[in-house]
Amino acid sequence: MKRFLLVLCLVVALVGIPAFAETKTINFLEVMTSPERTAMLKGMIDEYESSHPGVKVNLISPPYEQADQKATLMLNSNQPLDIIEVRDNTIKQFVNNKKLTNLAKYYRSWKEAKTLTPVSVAAAKTVDNTPYIIPQCIFIKALFVRKDILEKNGVTTLPNTIAELINTCIKITNPAKNQYGFAWRGKSSEMKFSDYFASAYVKDIKKDAVLYSEEKNYFTDPRYVQGMKAYVELFKKGAPQDAINWGFNEQINGFVSGITPFLIQDPDAIPLIDKMLDPEKYVVIPVPVGPTGMAYLDYGFTGLGIPSYSKNAAQAWDFIKWMSSAEKNAYFCEHYGALPVQSTAFKTNKYFQGKHYQAFLKEMTTPSKYVFKPFPQSSPKWPGWGSIHEADMQSVLLGQAKLETVLAKWKDYWTK
Amino acid sequence: MRRNPMGFLIAIMLPAFLFLGLVIFFPVIKGILIAFQNYNLNNDLSLVRFNGLDNFKAILTDPNFNFWRIIINTLIWIYVSLFFQFVLGFILALLLREPFRGRGVYSGLVFYPWALSGFAIGLIWAWIFNGQFGMANDILMRLHLIQQPIGFLSDPSFAMISVIIVNIWYGVPFFAIMLLAALQSIPKELFEAAQIDGANSVKRLFYITIPYIKATIVSTVLLRTIWIMNFPEIIYAMTGGGPNNATNILATQMINKILKFYDYGQGSAMGVIIMVLLFACAIIYLRASGAKEEGAV
Repeated sequence: MKRFLLVLCLVVALVGIPAFAETKTINFLEVMTSPERTAMLKGMIDEYESSHPGVKVNLISPPYEQADQKATLMLNSNQPLDIIEVRDNTIKQFVNNKKLTNLAKYYRSWKEAKTLTPVSVAAAKTVDNTPYIIPQCIFIKALFVRKDILEKNGVTTLPNTIAELINTCIKITNPAKNQYGFAWRGKSSEMKFSDYFASAYVKDIKKDAVLYSEEKNYFTDPRYVQGMKAYVELFKKGAPQDAINWGFNEQINGFVSGITPFLIQDPDAIPLIDKMLDPEKYVVIPVPVGPTGMAYLDYGFTGLGIPSYSKNAAQAWDFIKWMSSAEKNAYFCEHYGALPVQSTAFKTNKYFQGKHYQAFLKEMTTPSKYVFKPFPQSSPKWPGWGSIHEADMQSVLLGQAKLETVLAKWKDYWTK
Repeated sequence: MRRNPMGFLIAIMLPAFLFLGLVIFFPVIKGILIAFQNYNLNNDLSLVRFNGLDNFKAILTDPNFNFWRIIINTLIWIYVSLFFQFVLGFILALLLREPFRGRGVYSGLVFYPWALSGFAIGLIWAWIFNGQFGMANDILMRLHLIQQPIGFLSDPSFAMISVIIVNIWYGVPFFAIMLLAALQSIPKELFEAAQIDGANSVKRLFYITIPYIKATIVSTVLLRTIWIMNFPEIIYAMTGGGPNNATNILATQMINKILKFYDYGQGSAMGVIIMVLLFACAIIYLRASGAKEEGAV
């Protein structure tokens, strides 16, 4: 009897294994998780699997707060993983630790690489000018304006320059009525805002590869100082003083409640605001330019990469290629609130033809006015810079430190 | 056949010992080792080397985050929170000792903050204390107690007070629960005898109640000291250590070093500093509780 069972098991195993082996499972770790996004990704995966019999995509979705840590951990311990979502702030360390596959050979043979927006190309080649990822979502900033609140305060024109923006903010600010101008950002990644305001006063940056670096920065340049002074004035006279502790949620709240009718934000704010506010009540316009006639914008991104030790790279690439096509990517970004990576999506997708997205398209296609500059993310000075900048900026706004002292300190931090 | 009793003992203890070793001692030792390495996720991890006391030197001389200010913040955070948590918790326990109608429901409500997660509490109170949309300002303005909204979390002179208030709100039930249990163990006869001898309520409190539950007081106070020191959730959710480091404590700075700087070396060094300080606390605790057993009551 025992022997019979053993033989039976062997037969089942021998017949069964090849049957199972025909299905190849690829593991996909997403990091920007949210319940809606995970559900949407699962739907897309189902679609992919039904058109690709024999491939199974296993989606791993850790909770958002732990996702980056989990990604690092899985990569560093070479856990089975074939596709990984990589963010602007993790790509450098993953490449440094040789955990990402150089996608150059796939990238060259991929037709739709040619229709990627210039910002997407730059994002793909963030590290060493080599495509380690294919971007999926792009985040750039534009100016959100509550027209109804401005009209109530007697303002009918939209600002084209930073000076106009600041003047309007100061003009409508009236603490007695709880009316302010600008939805200020005081914490977590607040440097992106001061960088935008102050750098718009310096034309020379256009020649540099990044906004600032160990080789070159403009923190103590008189034009930059002037820009920072304007920015600080905006806080003192045109923003709620409590905004020193404002993060993303408070900014959105200030905008939706009308307390601060000017907001500079990424496109992911649009679906959120639309849930709380009549979409007719606000407009999105390109960010105002500085006295130079231009503005420097940073960009954020997430993309998909293949771990260097993956045994299913070819399958993984096929899935990435599928996800990055104009149609699928636009569908994904539409439901996630990001900008699509394919330039064709702005022409073919109904949602991205909508008026709230035209500002972003204009910014991406007017290189004479809007110049995209990455942050110096490959510099060892970069991590932690956000914390240092935040504390220093808060000390300036609170009057505990002089602007010039802090700017000199920043210059030292970057150059010494 | 005689069995070796020692071998048998080792054999039955080994699984538990291995388990503890794996989940407790291994991470601790690994953490201590990392504190002496240049372990930074931005660098190539194959270049990780021991770097002596460099991480500690870097923390002590950091121009951006004054270490002594962080220490002072930590002490204020611990002791101001602890003092009010204890006093209010003690008062609450004394009140709840006497039976009254609905005591069960009432004590349930009072104890509920203790069951919440620190991070959730921080997020809720961050909105209550919001300077622009917050409930606290709204109530104070409606009562005409203030004219202008207060920047509870954006004004450095209020920020620490605000996070401490939340910590007190959170920690009072712990003392109430522990002290109430101790209070209920005091024999009624002691109070009756004291009353016959003419001792008033203040005297009864200081000569019977407090000496009788001294052991509980000492142990809860010292335990809480350790817990509060290791409790950055509220601060992290409410201010992230700001504005301008006004609420930055050792534990929040440790998290910052790891999550924002990706510097596991300095983060672990911060953890080692916390551990040494807590170790000192624990020694004081053991001494104090040991002394108590020989003396009082």
